[in-house]
Amino acid sequence: MKPMLIRMAVAGSLLLAAGAAGAQEKKIEWVPGTTPMPNELLKQYPCHSVEEACYNIPAPDVQVVSFKPPLNGDAERGSKIANNIRWGNCFACHSLPGGVSGGTVGPDLSKYGAQEPPLDYVYQRIWDTRAFNPDAHMPIYGTNRVLADQDIRDVMAYLMTGK
Amino acid sequence: MKGRLLLGCGSVVAAALTVFGVAAVAADEIKREYVPGRENAIPHVSGDRKFSDTFEKWKDPAAIMAAKKAGLKSHEMNFKDFRWMEKSLDGEFALEEGRKLFNESNDKGQSCASCHGQDGETLKGVHATSPKVNPRTGKVTVIPTQIRTCAEERLGRTDLHEETRGNTMLAYWIGYLSDGQEINVDVTTPGPLKDSYERGRDLYFRRVGNFHFACASCHTPPTAGNYLRGQRPTTFFGDASQYPIYHFPYQLEGHNRGYVFTLQHQIKSCQMLSRMYQGKEGSPSMTDIETFLMASSNGYKVSIPTSEYNMNTDYLGRE
Repeated sequence: MKPMLIRMAVAGSLLLAAGAAGAQEKKIEWVPGTTPMPNELLKQYPCHSVEEACYNIPAPDVQVVSFKPPLNGDAERGSKIANNIRWGNCFACHSLPGGVSGGTVGPDLSKYGAQEPPLDYVYQRIWDTRAFNPDAHMPIYGTNRVLADQDIRDVMAYLMTGK
Repeated sequence: MKGRLLLGCGSVVAAALTVFGVAAVAADEIKREYVPGRENAIPHVSGDRKFSDTFEKWKDPAAIMAAKKAGLKSHEMNFKDFRWMEKSLDGEFALEEGRKLFNESNDKGQSCASCHGQDGETLKGVHATSPKVNPRTGKVTVIPTQIRTCAEERLGRTDLHEETRGNTMLAYWIGYLSDGQEINVDVTTPGPLKDSYERGRDLYFRRVGNFHFACASCHTPPTAGNYLRGQRPTTFFGDASQYPIYHFPYQLEGHNRGYVFTLQHQIKSCQMLSRMYQGKEGSPSMTDIETFLMASSNGYKVSIPTSEYNMNTDYLGRE
């Protein structure tokens, strides 16, 4: 149940793909759910600052994924991920199971489990929502490595507890 | 289910290639660099009509009063109702710190006041038409950047750059000198300011960062006008009129600005929360975004000092 220590590398290959030469191999440790994501790690994604190499990184390609059953998620861990602004931050936009006061931007998911949504649909929605709506205001959790496969399964297990 | 998925991306699945069990799709038709709406942005506060359709309810204090009286809920007014209505003196000591700094002499007896008059008498109204093009450098320049330049060149001080407390306090004081003036940043005459506005607008709508969000993801409907838990995101029109703003008890980790947020410090704060790379204050891109936001408040009046967390919470009862 402890937050997994994620070692993310600003890998040379990532920056090379964006056309930045001479990228330095750097390892920065960050534990999701604790502090804001370090600015150095954010350089691996497109950015506003024209003087930085990240300015030239294009939008990531849409990833279409297939869900491998069974769900085997940990709902308790999923709740921690979903209800933490430094981690999944799902509750910023959605009402979630358990009555924590969530946002009103996205659909109310507090009884999502009762709808029995197809799991491959939910998995794709979380992994890369652009497959359904290219202009959706929802993080592309899987594609941008905000959450890993097991994290998403845990969040899904948590969502399914909402009846 | 499979059918729904294929329906959504039928045109692109053919181009899929599998990497580590994940299909990466070369799908230009469903991959967007920008969120929609750039083309509707105009450099005037009334441009909100094309976004939230609430402008008539908050276009001036009388309209806000009338809407409140009619029992409109906060989100029906684009959350503009509690933003400018009442001045807040919560940050008065910060203003006083800025005023003192303005008049403070260096060891050669020079101060900001040496050129700009006691308390900045000659700077009244300057904030309302900033950013401006500095005629000497030819660059679009925001007030914090001009403060740095003046401090370095005239006062020999290098401790007042854009990311310092002193700079922010001075910017707050200079902003206050324009309180009540109508904002008017000329971004329609061809030139560096117009270019800056257009670059800033594009940056504002560009998807970036870990979440793949744009500023506009939160600051255009449907997000604007809805609740992000305790936060009340609004459209990008008008809000620049109250910056720099007193933001107690919130401040960014590693910063000590007396809880005052300049516009670029606010942008940085938004970037941090939205997991975007945080730009350097005073840098070209941050300046362009500031130009866009200030010009989007054209026609509205500067309202300084106000407070982000105003003690008046009567809007809560109406939600």
